[in-house]
Amino acid sequence: MIYLLTQFVLALFATLAFSVIFRVPVKKIPACMVVGALGWITYIIAVHYMSSPIAGCFAGACTVGLLSAICARVFKEASTVFIIPGILCLVPGYKIYSTMFELLREDVMGTAQTGLETLLMAGAIAVGLLVMGIVIGLVRILVKKAQAIATRQ
Amino acid sequence: MGKKRQKLILLLAVKAGEIMMKAGAEIYRVEDTITRICKACGIESVDVFAMPTGIFVTLDNGDEEDSTHTYVRRINSSETDLNKISRVNDFSRTFTTTDMTVEEGMEVLDEIEKERKYPVGVRVACASLAAGSFSVLFGGNAIDFCLAFIIGAFCYAMSRALSHLDINFFIRGLCCCAAAAFFALIAAASIGSADYDMIIAGCIMLFVPGVAITNSIRDFLSGDMVSGLGRMAEAFLTAVSLAVGAGIVLKFWDVFGGIVL
Repeated sequence: MIYLLTQFVLALFATLAFSVIFRVPVKKIPACMVVGALGWITYIIAVHYMSSPIAGCFAGACTVGLLSAICARVFKEASTVFIIPGILCLVPGYKIYSTMFELLREDVMGTAQTGLETLLMAGAIAVGLLVMGIVIGLVRILVKKAQAIATRQ
Repeated sequence: MGKKRQKLILLLAVKAGEIMMKAGAEIYRVEDTITRICKACGIESVDVFAMPTGIFVTLDNGDEEDSTHTYVRRINSSETDLNKISRVNDFSRTFTTTDMTVEEGMEVLDEIEKERKYPVGVRVACASLAAGSFSVLFGGNAIDFCLAFIIGAFCYAMSRALSHLDINFFIRGLCCCAAAAFFALIAAASIGSADYDMIIAGCIMLFVPGVAITNSIRDFLSGDMVSGLGRMAEAFLTAVSLAVGAGIVLKFWDVFGGIVL
């Protein structure tokens, strides 16, 4: 529990820092921090239960996508403003670096393994965001239909 | 509709797209914004082709006497700036729903374009906080946090200074990562419980193209193959520059470190 709490706080800090570097409007920074930190916590829990960073990235990206869409609705803002800082903790930045590092050390097997994992993690994040986008779009259409039916009656 | 008005609309739409693309928006959002602005002004057929390095827009009103206008705008640099994206997004919403004139729209866009980022001091402080946090998220301890905090601040300031001097992004990444690795090695050699791997990992998180590679796959998934390839290549080159920087320093440390210390 204490472990999760420290991770949560640190992820809050990391997202805060990148929100400032990416110049998120000041009023939306707290929301970005929460989105990013919850995404990271989802990632940790998913990795703990499924023991695969790729599945973890997918779960984390789904959380970020969902929360970003909600925040975008609440603040009347483009959802990118929340997605970019939100996925920052998840993106396999260090993995890309270690792939290239192994390439420099002429470790071909290591390069292939880490490189593939990097691509799959980045792909999992992208697919997670895409799936959430589609789900939210469908929900929106359904709500509109339901409202139309309700007003007709 | 006069030719002059059509040209003004074209300039306005391209400018909105350019600001968004330079701020790092997704391709579909740029294309969508340009199309919306043109349609709101009553242009019948609009075609947009946007890439991270350029925007192509063609307008045509459909009548036989009307001429076709095409605009190609080259985009050189880009730096993520979410406030600009959000403001241009707001702008396109107000422009399409109210009867704002093209000239007024141009003034608003000029104002958005002039906006600056947060002060350098604040950004350096935040960069060091990010470096420290990431070094612990990757498994470092409290000492790693403090060291990454200091080294991260230095590296970010250095990267800002180099980009101010218009140094190529490859050399910039190489120098920053080399500095990070060098100071991390010195710190780890002088302080026993520090782990140089974690410090380097925290510091290079400031420069690694994680968002770029994720965005490139998002571009692929939404069908923008050229942009996806472009962003992927950019991500790989940046990663190579970082790895080369750290690799050189670690290699030299292996060779000479034993002699000096």
